[in-house]
Amino acid sequence: MTLDDLTQTSGEWLKGIGPESDIVMCSRIRLARNFAEFPFTNRANRAEKAEIENHFKNAIATIEPKLDYIDVNALSTLDRQFLVERQIISRELAAGEGPRGAAVSREENIAIMVNEEDHLRIQYMLSGFRLQEVWDAINRLDDQLEEHLAFAFSPQLGYLTACPTNVGTGIRVGVLLHLPGLVHNKQIDKVFRALQKINLAVRGLYGEGTQASGDFYQISNQQTLGKSEPELIRILTDVVPQVLQYERGARNTLLTERREVLHDQVSRAYGVLKTAQTISSEETMLLLSAVRMGINLELIDDLSIATVNELFIQTQEAHLQKLRGSELGVEERNIARAAYLRSKLGAGRQSRH
Amino acid sequence: MTCQRCSKTASVHLTERREGERFELHLCAACARKAGITPPDSLPDLKLDAVVDELIVSNVGELVGELARLVCPACGVKYMEFRASGRFGCPEDYRIFAAGLTGILPRYHGSSRHVGKTPAVHPEASPRLHLRARLREAIVREDYELAARLRDQLRSEDHHA
Repeated sequence: MTLDDLTQTSGEWLKGIGPESDIVMCSRIRLARNFAEFPFTNRANRAEKAEIENHFKNAIATIEPKLDYIDVNALSTLDRQFLVERQIISRELAAGEGPRGAAVSREENIAIMVNEEDHLRIQYMLSGFRLQEVWDAINRLDDQLEEHLAFAFSPQLGYLTACPTNVGTGIRVGVLLHLPGLVHNKQIDKVFRALQKINLAVRGLYGEGTQASGDFYQISNQQTLGKSEPELIRILTDVVPQVLQYERGARNTLLTERREVLHDQVSRAYGVLKTAQTISSEETMLLLSAVRMGINLELIDDLSIATVNELFIQTQEAHLQKLRGSELGVEERNIARAAYLRSKLGAGRQSRH
Repeated sequence: MTCQRCSKTASVHLTERREGERFELHLCAACARKAGITPPDSLPDLKLDAVVDELIVSNVGELVGELARLVCPACGVKYMEFRASGRFGCPEDYRIFAAGLTGILPRYHGSSRHVGKTPAVHPEASPRLHLRARLREAIVREDYELAARLRDQLRSEDHHA
């Protein structure tokens, strides 16, 4: 698999299938693991990082499903950015140095980063609200890796990680939610404060410190020690339905009290996306968010959720440049973005999906 | 006080007793050099480590003071480096700096005991981690003979495993 192959496909997590997928874009779990015999990445020298990478590559050669290894160190800045946009690697891994990479499954459900803050950051994603399924899958994957690799583990403290905020289970259980209704009625901050009180973190689309764009928010656990993986998953599976209920309530209020205004906003957003000749990334995210909600509320009936989900990713900087096969300046990107949107949404598009 | 030879500020002060009488000499740096009295080139040893330790102890207590002096033999990280960056350097740090974690872990996680998944095999302290530390050290010291021996040892063990 090459990166150019990836430009022709999109991750399973964007398909818009699975329970509650009108609001829950995807469910994701990541596990932090470190090799017992090496210093953590921040203290490992180049030779050690290369050894870590080799051990890992040997291990994944024997496991199911088959994973392709991407040598991030050998990639251009544009290609690294492309992988960040797809949620395959973090901004930290992209900006890092020395031997490092990511193993990816064909469906892009699995992405294992090598030599990030921890030696391994194992990630598993599925579209919709399916945390239990994700846990079963990532746990089996972790078991397979453990047959070949000796991870640093202490009976008292669990899996040992570079940062003690991840020690124990090394798990982060998260959901990516689309919450335009709560943003619109300005209740979102109240919901976040309630989540933070029970020790859950709220982040933007691209993780720590990023601005929430397109009304997408990630909610995940912070505690990793003192509770088992199923207990930490249960916290999310108990709380998320309440957030979904608030979001649906907000959408219904909008529909019953301001139907025409809402329908107008959604239609205009769709109209701009279909016809614009130049458009910024920020405006695209904003309008796509309105269109996504419009489809869920049956105000738009000729567009699939999967298409909109994919557009959130494919209209980003690096994706546009990969599709064009050349580097583009800001203005050229805005023109390319508008052309791409027209080809996917406009009058001349090939089919409904 | 001004220099006794020019009007600049004096920075070298000497007192001498000669035949029961006390002589004082106050000179600026330039006049002192001309008179053959040269101040030492290097600054006196301020014993910075001791000063820093003392500051730490007086500000955050003796326990941290003791911890602050600890260095992990396997990765070279100091406790205060960990406190500044929030990152450990290797798995051994959890054992070496255990005293420092007793407060941090319950504060962050509400617990200090793991209750989740346990791998079938788990080497808590890998002797290979220490072998690797010696290898890194040998390379820094440019002791390539020792480095080669340690590398062979790591390789042969890996083969057995």
